[in-house]
Amino acid sequence: MPDAAREPLRSIALLDEGDGAYRAPDPDGMRRFVRDEKDRRLVDKRMSEQDAVARFVHDGDYVSYDTNVWRRGPASLMREIIRQRRRSLWLAAKFSAHDATLLTAGGCVSDIDVGWMEVGRVINEAMQEGRVRLHEWTNGALAYRHLAGALGVSFLPLRYVGGTDVFRMSGAKLIEDPYTGQPICLVPAVNPDVALIHVNQCDMYGNARIFGPGLAPAETAMASRRVIVSTEEIIDPEEIRKHPGATTLPYYLVDAVVHAPFGGYPGTVPGLYRADLQHLMEFGAAQEQGTMDDYLDKWVFSVSSHTEMLERRVGLQKLHQLRAEETHTEGYYT
Amino acid sequence: MTATHAFTTTEAAICYTARLIEDDRLYFVAIGGPPLLAILLARRLRGADIAYVVEDGTIAPRMPIPTPAFMIGAGLASSRAVAWTDMNTVDFHAGLGYIDCGVLAAVQVDEFGNFNSTFTGGCYDRPERRFGGPGGANEIASLCWRTVLLTRLERRKFVKKLDFSSSPGYLDGTPGARERAGLPPETGPWRVVTERAIFGFDEATRRMKLLAVAPWSSIDDVLGDMQFTPLIAERVESLPPPSEAELDALRADIDPMGRTIGGDWIHLAGDGDSLQRIVVEPAAGT
Repeated sequence: MPDAAREPLRSIALLDEGDGAYRAPDPDGMRRFVRDEKDRRLVDKRMSEQDAVARFVHDGDYVSYDTNVWRRGPASLMREIIRQRRRSLWLAAKFSAHDATLLTAGGCVSDIDVGWMEVGRVINEAMQEGRVRLHEWTNGALAYRHLAGALGVSFLPLRYVGGTDVFRMSGAKLIEDPYTGQPICLVPAVNPDVALIHVNQCDMYGNARIFGPGLAPAETAMASRRVIVSTEEIIDPEEIRKHPGATTLPYYLVDAVVHAPFGGYPGTVPGLYRADLQHLMEFGAAQEQGTMDDYLDKWVFSVSSHTEMLERRVGLQKLHQLRAEETHTEGYYT
Repeated sequence: MTATHAFTTTEAAICYTARLIEDDRLYFVAIGGPPLLAILLARRLRGADIAYVVEDGTIAPRMPIPTPAFMIGAGLASSRAVAWTDMNTVDFHAGLGYIDCGVLAAVQVDEFGNFNSTFTGGCYDRPERRFGGPGGANEIASLCWRTVLLTRLERRKFVKKLDFSSSPGYLDGTPGARERAGLPPETGPWRVVTERAIFGFDEATRRMKLLAVAPWSSIDDVLGDMQFTPLIAERVESLPPPSEAELDALRADIDPMGRTIGGDWIHLAGDGDSLQRIVVEPAAGT
């Protein structure tokens, strides 16, 4: 029954707000972009990593990836971004690993929205020298901002972030909830310019399957203007239609399909190959010793592609070993 | 107990935390580190199937022990789960009130249980020491009914003022402070566990309260390593050191690779309440 005594609501009280930097949400701009720029046809989107990055990653872009370079992350695409010397990227580091370190070492990054990330000498020095600005969020708040972006709204309410310095330094607001009258936090939607998502299987149109837990691959793809999928395996579109329940991303979200076996290397793609701990230690040592330029030269600049890196730097024997030693495969491809 | 007894600060905090874990609750933990090891230890010691969710969307996994190397990048950490979902989904579950308790590690904590995992020293843009960030701790500490924090008892960790408040405790301690900040009611930090003392929080003032002290330490010893003075329970319990059974399970069954061998070694001699701390020395790799 309607509450006749209730006063008509004239305004919603803004109780507090953070003063952090963020890109103003623009759901209508996103809709128009989708209307005008996103292909709804079933077309072959397979292309090389060089073409995908050249076409869809630009200087100054807001870039979101899923998961991270230690586990099912788009590592080969990140190396290509470094190889093409993109600049001034703004990263969404929602439960990131050393992804931000890698891209910062490559000179590609100006801003990082932080949930959690590996921090060492590279990030520290970049901060001290003012080359990189951090913006404190939380893993969940970043995933949730992608959800808002995926819903096509400009914000969502949530019941955390408030009361902390994260709130103070973020783009969050505290309002009086118009339904309960209680204070509640709002966070702005994020619509990344480009998403990088590494998947287990994908057809040539971009219908993609992810096996195993993830961070927010579906929300990230939906929220982003452009979506580059790198995939361990290209599968027949008929295979997709036989098991529609297994599809994580439908084709129309996706702009580029890059065939990248071992695209998660040096991280793991669970069920397929394990992480190369030796490589991760090499990365750690290079960071510690201030020899990241040598590391990047070896693994990125001195090879022209992911395939060449696998052949000349990793080697078939190592690749076979990483596959053979991923002994726990239950739940992924079965 | 044998005449001499040695364990590290990290091992002690894991063992004490394992004792606080209840069988029929649902926990929220980070993917690796002492909080998860505490739950695995509780499982091992009691043969109980204690359920937890992980930020990556893994629900109630049965990770095999010994734990895999590099847990954060190992598929085994998610094995035998009941569901593989995603970050938003497990945060929804926490927001709904399904998750009883978050278990988290803190770099710094203040007297109201607010904690820091962002930076220490300097300022935000030019920190002396930068850490990984709030991660999922902010949402876990906001949404779970209770939170257990693990840290070491040191003056630079139990601070009057945090260098950065990454995750909420009872904020300024005033009644309803969390609700006024938009957090769900009846939630908040429950225990802070260190290698030689366990703290709770006073229901009225929300200030940290000393509940238990190791027999080889003392209330004065504990207070001497804190920047603020906590409330003291009317009866401060004696905190038994890690037992042989706990340490054996942790070292031999769960973590033979020794990732819990962090912090300082504590060597004890004697028995029962006459336990004496004879040496404290840094453990390898710290």
